[in-house]
Amino acid sequence: MSGYTEGILILLCINAIAAMGVSLLTGFTGIFSLGHAAYMALGAYTTAILTVQHDIHWLPAILLGGVVAVAVAYFIGVPTLKLMGDYYAIASIGLGEAIRLILENWQSVTRGARGYPGIDPYTTLPVALAFFVVLAVFMFNLINSRFGRACKACRDDHIASSLLGFHTARIRVLSLMISAFYCGVAGALLGGFLSFIQPVMFDMLKSTELTAVVVFGGLGSMSGSLLGTAVITLVTELFRPISQYRMLIYGAVLVIIMVLRPEGIMGNREFLSWVKAPFRRRA
Amino acid sequence: MRADLRSPSSIRERGDPSLATLIQQIINGLSLGSVYALIAVGYSLVYSILLFSNFAHGGFLVIGGYICYGTLRTFGTGIWMSGALALAGAGLAAVLTERLAYRPIRERTNVTLYLLIASMGMSIVIENIFVIVAGGRFRALPPVIPTAPVNLMGMATTSAFDLLSLVSAVVFLGALQLFLSKTRWGLAIRAAAYDLRTAGLMGVNVNLLISIVFFVAGALAAVGGIFLSVRYTLYPQLGAITIKAFVAAVIGGLGSLPGAVVGSLILGLAEMLTAGFISSQMRDLVVFSMLVVTLLVKPTGLFGKSVSEKV
Amino acid sequence: MMSSFFELSGVTKNFGGVQAVSKMTFSMEKGELAGLMGPNGAGKTTVFNLITGVYDPDEGSILFKGENLVPLKTFQVTARGVARTFQNLRLFQRSTVLENVMTAAQHHVPYTFVEGITHLGRWRSKEREIREKSMTLLERVGLADRAGQAAGTLPYGYQRRLEIARALALDPELLLLDEPAAGMNAEEVASLNLLIQDIHRDFALTILVIEHHMDLVMEICPHIICMNFGAKIAEGTPREIQNHPEVLKAYLGEEEDE
Repeated sequence: MSGYTEGILILLCINAIAAMGVSLLTGFTGIFSLGHAAYMALGAYTTAILTVQHDIHWLPAILLGGVVAVAVAYFIGVPTLKLMGDYYAIASIGLGEAIRLILENWQSVTRGARGYPGIDPYTTLPVALAFFVVLAVFMFNLINSRFGRACKACRDDHIASSLLGFHTARIRVLSLMISAFYCGVAGALLGGFLSFIQPVMFDMLKSTELTAVVVFGGLGSMSGSLLGTAVITLVTELFRPISQYRMLIYGAVLVIIMVLRPEGIMGNREFLSWVKAPFRRRA
Repeated sequence: MRADLRSPSSIRERGDPSLATLIQQIINGLSLGSVYALIAVGYSLVYSILLFSNFAHGGFLVIGGYICYGTLRTFGTGIWMSGALALAGAGLAAVLTERLAYRPIRERTNVTLYLLIASMGMSIVIENIFVIVAGGRFRALPPVIPTAPVNLMGMATTSAFDLLSLVSAVVFLGALQLFLSKTRWGLAIRAAAYDLRTAGLMGVNVNLLISIVFFVAGALAAVGGIFLSVRYTLYPQLGAITIKAFVAAVIGGLGSLPGAVVGSLILGLAEMLTAGFISSQMRDLVVFSMLVVTLLVKPTGLFGKSVSEKV
Repeated sequence: MMSSFFELSGVTKNFGGVQAVSKMTFSMEKGELAGLMGPNGAGKTTVFNLITGVYDPDEGSILFKGENLVPLKTFQVTARGVARTFQNLRLFQRSTVLENVMTAAQHHVPYTFVEGITHLGRWRSKEREIREKSMTLLERVGLADRAGQAAGTLPYGYQRRLEIARALALDPELLLLDEPAAGMNAEEVASLNLLIQDIHRDFALTILVIEHHMDLVMEICPHIICMNFGAKIAEGTPREIQNHPEVLKAYLGEEEDE
């Protein structure tokens, strides 16, 4: 396998992990966030600092990166997830930008806007695949469990949900925390792949890309999010020679899908072999 | 206290707390805030009718800026003509955006999430059209707007530009206020902001009303865009500054027009006073902190109406 | 005197200048089937919202099994054993019929988060239990053969039944039904009457039904409370209510729509 192909596969795994996190939050819990790249940044920087400056092995470092993202998500999430819809979207933009600004200006710790080089390239293909497979199994199991149903209830009708006994605020926070973990791990793996990270890699454009992937695949379909990741990552690679069109295409994809087929490719269905549908009725 | 700006021993580069600097930064802040107000008001106007955040609003700003620049440079028209063309162009672009992207979604579903995502997409599309067509260079507008320093009664110096943008904002917002309070369509818009469906049931042509609202929002954004491109030079990502107008609108209360103005002025002042007396880096951080504080303490902002669901 | 199973005392709620509910007082014994009647806008749904914690009353107490529900949040009220259906239906439209019920049924069949993400331990047996419990309820309301259908595609009458099934899945002790017959024709109402009486008997539930139409409530509820303009205007048996002057006055002002 050539280095180029291997690189694409690693990138696919990384993007897929982040996509699963965002899918849980936006597709399954109905929280539209435009600041999720910040959690990738937190994971990436934590792991970079731990492996480079403190000589910690990459495995615990990556997990700690995820944990840091979760902790920040918790402290941000508890007060802000009371907000619904647009308000949370705006808050997430603000928070995402704030985190990026802090990373850019906290030179002593993060080396600032110039970026953090020299990260050990621990993200080999086996490592990326292992993380992907384990996290994917957990995620598909999760959405096919009582917790998945709880998220969907909060998404579809938060008033009915609370009247059905769900502590909607807690479910939303938990969903945010899990999605932050996934994004944090993805960010940490990205650092180990590129050997270099910069705050600008985790700006609003990146957040939008994460959301676009989930929307494209279908809000409420985890396998759709994986499909969306595959398509968009591969198309990005194809368009690399004309990368200034890349963003234009992202934007256009978002608009076109919302206009023509807001349910995305998969709607809210899954590849049936992955997820046992609770009851299938013959039409 | 005698303000002495020229004595080297009495000045620290940025933190000089003299009265003159304070007045300067206040005027700067009001000027910047008034430009934000033009943008925030249009954004809040759309929100009050359709109850969704049009993230593509920044795109109209950029369109206005480029049309103005383009006509000034290429056709050599005066600022009045170029400005008028910019307003019209941005207004039309706004109407087109609504027709192409939002109306089809609006007619099919009332899930605002789809509109949010579509607006995000349009924002990226517009910005990147300019990246491709105009290139990412920073362009300075031809100096048709005076920027000469003006001496204010010996107390402080400011630039004509700041005064001009303040005055223009007042004029345009005043015109908007007249439109809303004294014309039939203005009345229809105010009714629709209260309840869109009922306004429609009372015979208002809802689609036409929404187009008018978008045109107005786009035109106001264009004015803001022209002033911002003089202040910061013109480039495709200039629309990103709209995020600050969003913050201002939220602080003032989403959907409230006076709130958008007040929130913008507060934000402009906060930014400039921070830049003047603390540091320029902290400026953006202060903006986002104010957003977060508002959302935590009083999410509906200063004047916003809280929309509660009927159970 | 033994305290009642369920008791409202002096419950008052103002919205701005409007008094939506005014000193509402009534009580129900365990196992009763009672009706809350009144013309449109009388405040009946507001009473339900006050009981379930969607609104906080300005005055008064709501005692359920001796505990005051007023300081509790909505999900806590549900946990105490109170379930409701909605006037305007609040089903999870995109989910299947079965999923709607399972979402409610899962509350009393818990397993841990770790078991959830690994699908090990009790996951399989508990999920089966949830599913079986839900299917049983669907059979009860006659929806078992539509279990895999998207809830939003059901005919209207069936959607109402689904909401009842979902509320039953919470194993409530007090069931609040908000205009369950709205939009139904005479035949559907008769069928619904039977269903309500069946579940009242079979699940030994205490049920409070809001209905605006007289026919349903009069026929199946031995105890009726009548409201108008936020206040109780009459309480008693169907016969007493039927002849009560205040009730007649309240309804005479109403449009004849049936």
